[in-house]
Amino acid sequence: MTRFEYDDSDVVVVVGSGAGGGTVANELCQRGFKTVVLEAGPHLTGEDYHQDEWPAFGQMAWSDPRTTSGSWQVATDFPGLPAWLVKAVGGTTTHWAGACPRFKAHEFAARSTYGDLDGASLLDWPIALSELAPYYDKAEIKMGVTHRHGRPPLPANNNYKVFANGAEKLGYRYYSTGPYATNAEPYDGRPASIQDGFNFQGDKNGSKWSTLVAELPKAEKTGNLDLRPDSHVAQIEHDATGRATGVLYVDRNGTLRRQRAAVVCVAGNSIETPRLLLLSGSAQHPDGLANSSGQVGRNYMRHTTGTVWGQFDKPVKMWRGETMAGVIADESRLDTDRGFVGGYYMETISLGPAFLAKFIAPGRWGEPVTELLDGYRNTAGMWIIGEDMPRADNRVSLSGETVDQHGLPVANVHFDDHPNDVAMRRHGQRQGAAVYNAVGAQKTIETPPYPSTHNLGTCRMSQRPRDGVVDRFGRAHDVPNLFISDGSVFTTGAAANPTLTIVALATRQAEYIATELHKTLT
Amino acid sequence: MGSTLLTAQHRQTLVNVVYAAFPHRTFPRGPYERAADAVIDQAGKDPRFLAQLMQGLTDLDAQRDVPFAELDADVAAAVLRGADGTPFLTAIVDSVVVTLYSDPEVWELLGYEGPSFDKGGYLHRGFDDLDWLPDPRIEHEEEMTA
Ligand SMILES: Cc1cc2nc3c(=O)[nH]c(=O)nc-3n(C[C@H](O)[C@H](O)[C@H](O)COP(=O)(O)OP(=O)(O)OC[C@H]3O[C@@H](n4cnc5c(N)ncnc54)[C@H](O)[C@@H]3O)c2cc1C
Repeated sequence: MTRFEYDDSDVVVVVGSGAGGGTVANELCQRGFKTVVLEAGPHLTGEDYHQDEWPAFGQMAWSDPRTTSGSWQVATDFPGLPAWLVKAVGGTTTHWAGACPRFKAHEFAARSTYGDLDGASLLDWPIALSELAPYYDKAEIKMGVTHRHGRPPLPANNNYKVFANGAEKLGYRYYSTGPYATNAEPYDGRPASIQDGFNFQGDKNGSKWSTLVAELPKAEKTGNLDLRPDSHVAQIEHDATGRATGVLYVDRNGTLRRQRAAVVCVAGNSIETPRLLLLSGSAQHPDGLANSSGQVGRNYMRHTTGTVWGQFDKPVKMWRGETMAGVIADESRLDTDRGFVGGYYMETISLGPAFLAKFIAPGRWGEPVTELLDGYRNTAGMWIIGEDMPRADNRVSLSGETVDQHGLPVANVHFDDHPNDVAMRRHGQRQGAAVYNAVGAQKTIETPPYPSTHNLGTCRMSQRPRDGVVDRFGRAHDVPNLFISDGSVFTTGAAANPTLTIVALATRQAEYIATELHKTLT
Repeated sequence: MGSTLLTAQHRQTLVNVVYAAFPHRTFPRGPYERAADAVIDQAGKDPRFLAQLMQGLTDLDAQRDVPFAELDADVAAAVLRGADGTPFLTAIVDSVVVTLYSDPEVWELLGYEGPSFDKGGYLHRGFDDLDWLPDPRIEHEEEMTA
């Protein structure tokens, strides 16, 4: 295990070890750069994971306090839990399912394509699909995404059979079991899926790509990685010239440490990343670090989501097999005639009885709930995920009163659905029910959004410094050696699940940092 | 452990409250008793909730001529609806919705098979055994151009 000195000012410090942080760290280690990864959570591995939903959640989830406000239903249903994220080595890639669609070309130009929507703060990305395409290739190869670059598709599981037959009957064409970042056959030193149905709980088998099982072990082998779990970064420091000089963090013993750095990459996910910048204010940066635009924390997006369950008179057993290896892409098309802009995907989903009972109608009880659970064996499930509209006032800010165990103000997450989000959700739930009705559902049930699993946009990329926080490489407009390496940089959210794009952007960013660092360090 | 202030009568009522809140006709009493005991354990660590729990259970018993535990299912459900949204019932529901449906006996009753890794997952145990629909294709040929 490599260890670098606290006052070694040549290292790159990466905050967070999830999709963005784990990827940027590995890419830098491979290029020979000394890299310190500070991860707030513990180092859990396959053996530690529980195949039992609540114990797994208790073990892995970010459960430090957060607060909520706004008219979104999550603020009512889960006021202290706006987001479903992991606090552990590997970040939320240990919980994630693996669905890996790419963005479409027009989704990088949302403002130009959709126009000026009332109440939305749409902006075009400063990059185009053509620039990211080579990095999408790299990311897909890295992650072993099925259906891509010769990787075989996963087979149909029971939940998919219902979903795909419904899609076919309804006239949808673009349904398949992927792209999905879990091995259908052994790949990259990791085994094929055993279809055990617990990839939301960490995937004990290691068939699913995560930074825990792929990027970090590879980085470790280079001898350039110093991974420090249980290390919560409290502040980013800078000097009089405006360059970041390192970070202050609380180690596992509760001691405040300083790690110096040549470059700081922040990848704490889109709630913790802006929180850290806001906590790093100074005389030079009175509104928070890198926040001269006032955009840090704003334009928070979470995808328009909803779940549809179909209940049949015959068994489905949706819990058997890969949780999300099924997608219908037809509604992700560019078509503004449906009463909303943006597109959405339908993806298979399965929950165990414990999570289903909690999420199907939060806070509700009585026969409406028990009747649904009685039909558990015969239930099929799908998740709707679509592009939501950025809004200036949907934002992460520091809570006025609540502090965490270190005395740091926690994040407040404010969100109001845009009318476009509401229209899209309604359309998605109607189409989802139609898919199940087409194959004889006796009943369909709509579940409101879960705590946000996709958190995006709070340090957005922009051409002009006044419109956003970072440039086209994720470098802070205001601080030349500060980079944001996670989904916070998304200018808009697109319909696609975000992780493939986070990994592609982080891979591209590492290449850029390496080029820049070569100039200063060598 | 539960508080000595909670009587056997309280517990009896609580088990019936848990059943009235999540009434599965096919379930035996065991899972409901375990879920009720988890509520009691929780109250043992939270004096305010313990006080609310004892008061709430006593109040429910006073709603009709006979104790809550002796009410017909329909009447019990109606009485319980009167307590909907109170901190007392909300805390019970929040606890029970987790413990009841994490109970392996309940899983079995619902047909859910639980942990599977130690058995090699479902790869050779029916992950694709649904036979009342045709086997669908798993790939689509051309990319979407939209
Ligand atoms: C149940 C579930 C299913 C999902 N399925 C999919 C899917 O199918 N497809 C898809 O594309 N996406 C999916 N996602 C989303 C995916 O997990 C995220 O997009 C991705 O992990 C985000 O990467 P990130 O680097 O931004 O943050 P994360 O992966 O969340 O990592 C952030 C890390 O930073 C750490 N951290 C935060 N603050 C600090 C601090 N101050 N100091 C030190 N460390 C800190 C955290 O502990 C965490 O480990 C899913 C998510 C969930 C919860």
